[in-house]
Amino acid sequence: MDVSQQLADYAAANAAEVLERPTPVELDTGLLAAYDTTPVDADEYKAALEPHLLALTLTSTQALLAGLFSLPTKSSEHGPVAQLADPTFVLPREKPLPKPKPLTKWERFANAKGISHVKKDKKVWDDERQEWVARWGRDGKNKDAEDQWLHEVKNNGSDPTIDPRATAKAERKARTEKNAKQHARNLAEAAASPLSTLDRKPTAGTASQGEKANARSIRKAELDRGMLVSKVSTASLGRFDKSIEGEPRVKGIKRKFETNLGDHASEKASAMDVLNRLGTAERKRAPKKGGSGVEGGVNTRKAVRYEERAAQLANRRDGKSGGGRGGRGGKSGRGGRK
Amino acid sequence: MATPATSPPSHTVSTISINPLLLNTVNVSPLPLLALLYSKPKNARVKRALDEREPKLVENEKTCIFVSGNKTSERIRDAMKDMNSMKRPYAINFSKKNDIHPFDDASSLEFFSGKNDASLFVTGLHSKKRPHDLVLTRMFDGRVLDQIELGIDSYRSMAEVDTPKASVGTRPLMVFHSDLFDTHPTFTHLKSYLLDFYNGHHETAIPLASVEHVISVTAGPVEGSLEEGAALPKVHVRVYTIKLLASGSKVPRVQLTEMGPSMDLTIRRVAEADSETMKAAMKRPRISQKDLDSGLGKKRKNIETDDMGDKVGRIHVGKQDLSKLQSRKMKSLKIGRKERKAAEADADADAAGNDSGMDED
Repeated sequence: MDVSQQLADYAAANAAEVLERPTPVELDTGLLAAYDTTPVDADEYKAALEPHLLALTLTSTQALLAGLFSLPTKSSEHGPVAQLADPTFVLPREKPLPKPKPLTKWERFANAKGISHVKKDKKVWDDERQEWVARWGRDGKNKDAEDQWLHEVKNNGSDPTIDPRATAKAERKARTEKNAKQHARNLAEAAASPLSTLDRKPTAGTASQGEKANARSIRKAELDRGMLVSKVSTASLGRFDKSIEGEPRVKGIKRKFETNLGDHASEKASAMDVLNRLGTAERKRAPKKGGSGVEGGVNTRKAVRYEERAAQLANRRDGKSGGGRGGRGGKSGRGGRK
Repeated sequence: MATPATSPPSHTVSTISINPLLLNTVNVSPLPLLALLYSKPKNARVKRALDEREPKLVENEKTCIFVSGNKTSERIRDAMKDMNSMKRPYAINFSKKNDIHPFDDASSLEFFSGKNDASLFVTGLHSKKRPHDLVLTRMFDGRVLDQIELGIDSYRSMAEVDTPKASVGTRPLMVFHSDLFDTHPTFTHLKSYLLDFYNGHHETAIPLASVEHVISVTAGPVEGSLEEGAALPKVHVRVYTIKLLASGSKVPRVQLTEMGPSMDLTIRRVAEADSETMKAAMKRPRISQKDLDSGLGKKRKNIETDDMGDKVGRIHVGKQDLSKLQSRKMKSLKIGRKERKAAEADADADAAGNDSGMDED
């Protein structure tokens, strides 16, 4: 490499000539980017690629820096800090927008009823101990009833042999248990709610724990169902198949019985429903109640309809009109079965 | 009114025989199953790690995984090395070869993405049909969003250029030359990927002194038509370090020195994102001004990093009880045996007085 080449390189490296652009360079300071939308000059590009690229870069970088240095700044220990605007070129997100946390059953109820939630403090004031104590947990206030040294037995006929301490503890344990159950139910319901905004199966990577559990359970239910179907799909409907250990049991629909000592009206209604279907009720009821058209042993409504029908048939025979309305549909049982 | 106890129970539903076609309606209640399967993270550390991976309103910076296929060339290895060093610290390098063909089957990439919580991929491949092949993949929600395949026609690595380099972790400026980046979908895609790769994470502020280098991306001039199947113009990527010189005005004069790498690229295959996924990926959150002002997703209370780079936290320890403070030990200030006994006796008497008070209650 001779001296002239080195000089040329040096000149190129120290070039500061900014190219003329017909359209100004677009700035996107939010992404620290500049877009020069002028088409690249083919002649310059072919003649000397590297110097041309350098010149282009110099031009757009100068414009971008001018943009950055004109932004509002705040001073810091690292010198002035430019406050960047929002990007104009929108880039895709990495993950979908976070879904709002599913409401618990209580929250749904409270919303529906317009109950405003007041968050309980973790500590409560204990008047006897004259200090703030935990509402629950170690030395919690919820254990006061079982920890007191003297238990009053009320003279109201209650069994004096019952240990009030054990009763209080059992009650507290039951409350905890109930809450744990409700919590589990809320989690399960949240997990069972719609999976994704795109309605796709969640992946191993980004799906949340609940979604994964839900997808697994759905898949498991599918497999169970498939297995049950395949079992009864033999010629003998699975009668001679060996059962595998731990295979899911076929759960049919359970029989339900009504209580013996129940509501009289509903029992009567269901009995009448059965009789209606048999048609006996109609026969039994008709003469007594009189029906809607019975007068002196002649069903006038039926007679009128019969006459109408005869007239219609006569008309049709004459070819005057296409036909009247059809008869009414069959009688349907009222108050159908559940 | 109750019916007589002797009346037979009324059957509302009779038993049914199981019909295979009805099995779809067999009642497999999902709730107990779900309750069993829903597992909480075992400890707080795991919980934090899992929470970190959940979708966020303000996203973290995208991590890139560099993975090489079964066969690579030196050029590809150099290119990946240099891209990695410019992407650090948000880069993970897979040193082993992997049997990956992202355009045929991207399932391994999706697996890696899930394991490493990364959403950008650079896959290096080399074959007779497609020599010096670089596949750039972008993920959304753990799935491939779009891909673009580039052939490296010529390459000059960072090490080959004997000039000062930008420091690790500084944000580059990016400049794009040519109208194609605005008009041609493939070039727009490339621009989007490159912006996402280096500057995708939006910062609200940068120190002006931290501007050290610029990445220049230029598409060659269009010759002939840009119809389907026609060769697209080449893309030239150059990286220069920036030297700011005094200019006499507020805006300094720029001097550029080549830093490397420089690549001339040919665009090969492109897999566009399907419109529905892209639409979901482009959704912006609606953040209220109040949340923005309070530094949503950015501000951490009471945690700072000091000049040595150590993390320093401030905690509130409550008011100090000065009455128990140990002052200077002197014989004259010492509590003697007699005084101590007297003090204890006083305390006992007080306690007894309290007890008797309670008894009376």
